[in-house]
Amino acid sequence: MIKKEINRISEVGKALISVEGNPGVALNHVVELLDTDTNQSLSFAKAINISENSTRFQVFNGTGGLSTKTKLRMHEVPLTAGFSYNMLGRTFDGIGQVADNGPEVIFEKQLETSLDTLNPTVRLVPKQPLWTGIPMIDVFNTLVKSQKIPIFASPTEPYNRLLSQIAMGAQADVIIFAGIGLKFDEYHYFKDQLSQSGNIDKTIMFVHLAGESQIKGLTLPDVALSVAREFADQGKDALVLLTDMTNWSNILRNVANYQDMIPSLQGYPGSLYSELARRYEVAADIEGAGSITIIGATTLESLEDPVPDNTGYITEGQFFLENGKLKLARSLSRLKQQVNGNTRSDHRPIMTAMASLLADAEKAYEAAEVGAANDAFSQKLLAYRSDFIANMEEPFGDPLELDAALDRCWEILKRHFEPTETGLSKKLIEEYWDNQN
Amino acid sequence: MNIRNKERTGNLISIQDSLVKVRFKDDVIMGETAEISVEGKLLQGEVLQISPDFKNPGCGIAEMQVFEDLTGARIGDSVEFKGTPLSVLVGPGLLTSIWDGLQNPLYKLSEQDPYLRPGMHAPALDETKLWDFTPAVSVGDVLKGGDTIGSVPEGHFEHKILVPFGIKKCTVNEIIGQKSVNITEVVAIVTDENNQKQELKLAFRHPVKQPIPFKERSIPRKTISTGVRVIDLLAPVSYGGTVGNPGPFGAGKTVMQHTLCKYAIADVIIMAACGERAGEAVEVFKDFAELEDPSTGESLMNRMCIFGNTSSMPVAAREASVFIALTVGEYYRYQGYNVILLADSTSRWAQALRERSGRQGDIPGPEAFPMDIPDQIKGMYQRAGADSGSGGSLTFIGTVSPAGGNFQEPVTQATMDATGGFWGLSQDRADAKKYPAIDPLAYTTSVYDSFIPWKDREQILSTLHEANGIDQTISTIGLKKVPIEKYILFQKGQTIDFCVLQQNAFHDLDACTRPERLNVINEAVQKLINSEIAIPDPNMDDDELKEVIRAKFDELRQWWRDWNMSAETEEQIAALPSHIDQFVFEGEPVL
Repeated sequence: MIKKEINRISEVGKALISVEGNPGVALNHVVELLDTDTNQSLSFAKAINISENSTRFQVFNGTGGLSTKTKLRMHEVPLTAGFSYNMLGRTFDGIGQVADNGPEVIFEKQLETSLDTLNPTVRLVPKQPLWTGIPMIDVFNTLVKSQKIPIFASPTEPYNRLLSQIAMGAQADVIIFAGIGLKFDEYHYFKDQLSQSGNIDKTIMFVHLAGESQIKGLTLPDVALSVAREFADQGKDALVLLTDMTNWSNILRNVANYQDMIPSLQGYPGSLYSELARRYEVAADIEGAGSITIIGATTLESLEDPVPDNTGYITEGQFFLENGKLKLARSLSRLKQQVNGNTRSDHRPIMTAMASLLADAEKAYEAAEVGAANDAFSQKLLAYRSDFIANMEEPFGDPLELDAALDRCWEILKRHFEPTETGLSKKLIEEYWDNQN
Repeated sequence: MNIRNKERTGNLISIQDSLVKVRFKDDVIMGETAEISVEGKLLQGEVLQISPDFKNPGCGIAEMQVFEDLTGARIGDSVEFKGTPLSVLVGPGLLTSIWDGLQNPLYKLSEQDPYLRPGMHAPALDETKLWDFTPAVSVGDVLKGGDTIGSVPEGHFEHKILVPFGIKKCTVNEIIGQKSVNITEVVAIVTDENNQKQELKLAFRHPVKQPIPFKERSIPRKTISTGVRVIDLLAPVSYGGTVGNPGPFGAGKTVMQHTLCKYAIADVIIMAACGERAGEAVEVFKDFAELEDPSTGESLMNRMCIFGNTSSMPVAAREASVFIALTVGEYYRYQGYNVILLADSTSRWAQALRERSGRQGDIPGPEAFPMDIPDQIKGMYQRAGADSGSGGSLTFIGTVSPAGGNFQEPVTQATMDATGGFWGLSQDRADAKKYPAIDPLAYTTSVYDSFIPWKDREQILSTLHEANGIDQTISTIGLKKVPIEKYILFQKGQTIDFCVLQQNAFHDLDACTRPERLNVINEAVQKLINSEIAIPDPNMDDDELKEVIRAKFDELRQWWRDWNMSAETEEQIAALPSHIDQFVFEGEPVL
């Protein structure tokens, strides 16, 4: 079939182009940009805004160097992503093209990238824990298969190290790495880690480096998640690593700005919440099929920034990394209640008791700064706080099994408190206080 | 609005996200729905604005929002105007249903495809199920909209079959006898005020933005037992009341909603999962089905229906989902039932309006929300209320998700203004895992009556206030300089917080406290507040004394928590007030 062509671009802006009139392109359908003289393919673009008078496109490879004489060839389909088991071990760009200088991949099928919503009735209530060996996660915020959860951290924190540590130990059939706006060394770090841990053969990397075309960064999660979803539909447990969604949101903000959209908060479009949700909601445990777990990274200056704020309302909790420690106070796994009720009988109560004491200890710590923590109990709390930070909030220590991590909790409590001071029930105290080695 | 027979059509001339412009020739009605034909699929939309078409005399331009994804739409695609506004199908079979935001039943859709594709639809209510109809009127009877023509049993409910509210006056021409019928069969024929014959069935459609009337609106007076102590004691809600429940993420809004679903005493609970996580709605309809309704002992799902327009579903349908849920709530209120509508979250609803008005190019109000958002929020909450005429009520509990956890933002502020109760969740309490994180001292109010006397409620609040003040003092000048009697007051406040306000939503016994138990707790609390505290040896120095007092209170708190988790028999329950008596009178009074 001969594809219809358009011969002239009337408007070229940052990442966007327009053509005059109505060439018959459908919303979200893809066109290919070709050099008029050589017929060489320059880029693909997507129709985002159509009227009788003009049609606007997002150009995947950017608009630098585009001539108004460029030809547009209509493909009559929305953006698709190639899928094949041969993709494992390979690296692709934000629209699913090979990006590792390796041989071309023959795709078995083309996937829609519209990320249509999974019918909620097909979702299973997630009930399978994913153990990480990190006490702050396993004891206090247990991770669950099919959870969507980001690491919140300032850009200088070792969030990629944490992400990689969680991923390498994860019990997944396939790892989909989706990096947006990455620095080259970050990409390299992940690739190394995946190779060293022997996981590279079950990994597909989708990579968008900082400075590359913004639109390709924008489409990357859709392509990566569509591939992950296909694995899940085929019965596999897929783990998706999304880093860093703040970069992605910033691209979204830039493009909204180029499109003259009315900004809501800090220049982000009013649709930020829905756009983030559409990606994160792909995480699911699917009845009669596999699962998709999403662990993301969201860098932030402040928790009140629109990106972490909106993300927090979408994801099933967050791991909050500060000064290299996983902080109990702001970390949360919303799915932990699904799995921590049938572990050890002390799991839930000790979690609550330690958290409550830590909150008191934080208050004592603030009081101490003005010299007001002068009573004996405040001193106990302060010692407990240091112990807790060193032994519970450290994410990069030797991996601990859950039982060992819980035992460590009791040891810490015993070092600092009398039984009644812990707020734990008499029954638990009798069962665990003296029976630990 | 007239239902017209003539087909009215138009064509797309502009497409941007979920917003389209349509050129039409004949006439178009503001707010009517339309179907757009895109690649063989029919997508639903509604008219938002109508403007002249200067280039094409005789034509006009209708601006529409489309409730489904428009990928594949082209200029020129045809649009058919339907003549009716967005409406909801009401009738037997509503309960136990799980729909998307436009009342498509999700289980039925999943038979077609595990994913929700644009253009997929299914009948809102089961059209094959038979209901035992018993007529209540005879030929010749003169009726009006809302009058009962008969009834069918729906679970343990008597579901009244009503004359649609759009009919002002009618005469019964035909009515069937006692018979099993489905919702597509005609049960009566009436002649309406325009002398038109109308066929009445078990179910009918009602426009979602036209409230179903009250029989006789009344003030919400009867307190709801929610099972949550801090609510039922300090910030109660009555049948027909309205509550805003704001909180930053992670403060426990979801657990609160789930707790209310499980334990609040009501005939019907409607959940509008508006723009929130799909998983949370799934937990409700998959796991809660195994739990018991606290009033009837049947499956909890028998009293529920769920509208799941979750966060990844089309934004335009979010607004619709809340109004659809409200209308269903009003319908059951009119039938005489106590309905609680949980809308999670009204902020997502407001954001949907914001996205739309941004696309329409409206001049934005604060934080880019539409200028009239406070009025829209008030209008929505106003649809809740008690109806002494029907004996039913519609209680509206809306969660609010303020950006940055900042309660000064427009939606939270407007909600505070619109509701009778306000449950502000605090980040600090959530950080300290003090759940439920409702902060009784800040942003928590209620105009409704509690299960305990007004003065007791005031007494508890003032004790908490004072204890909080002392806590601040301890943090700034240290414990040493705080007088003993103030320290005791502080410990009393801590005890009320730890043992009464905090509650374990995941513990079978502790999760739900009914009024009888609550009254015993209140008795104990009042004793604790009003008694002087005795200590063993008044000759100690202040520091030692404070340590002893703290230890004594620690013990009390441990005892009380154990009581929360274990006291079940009458005798065990009665042990609480007597334990407090013992506690306060051991040894000599301090002062």
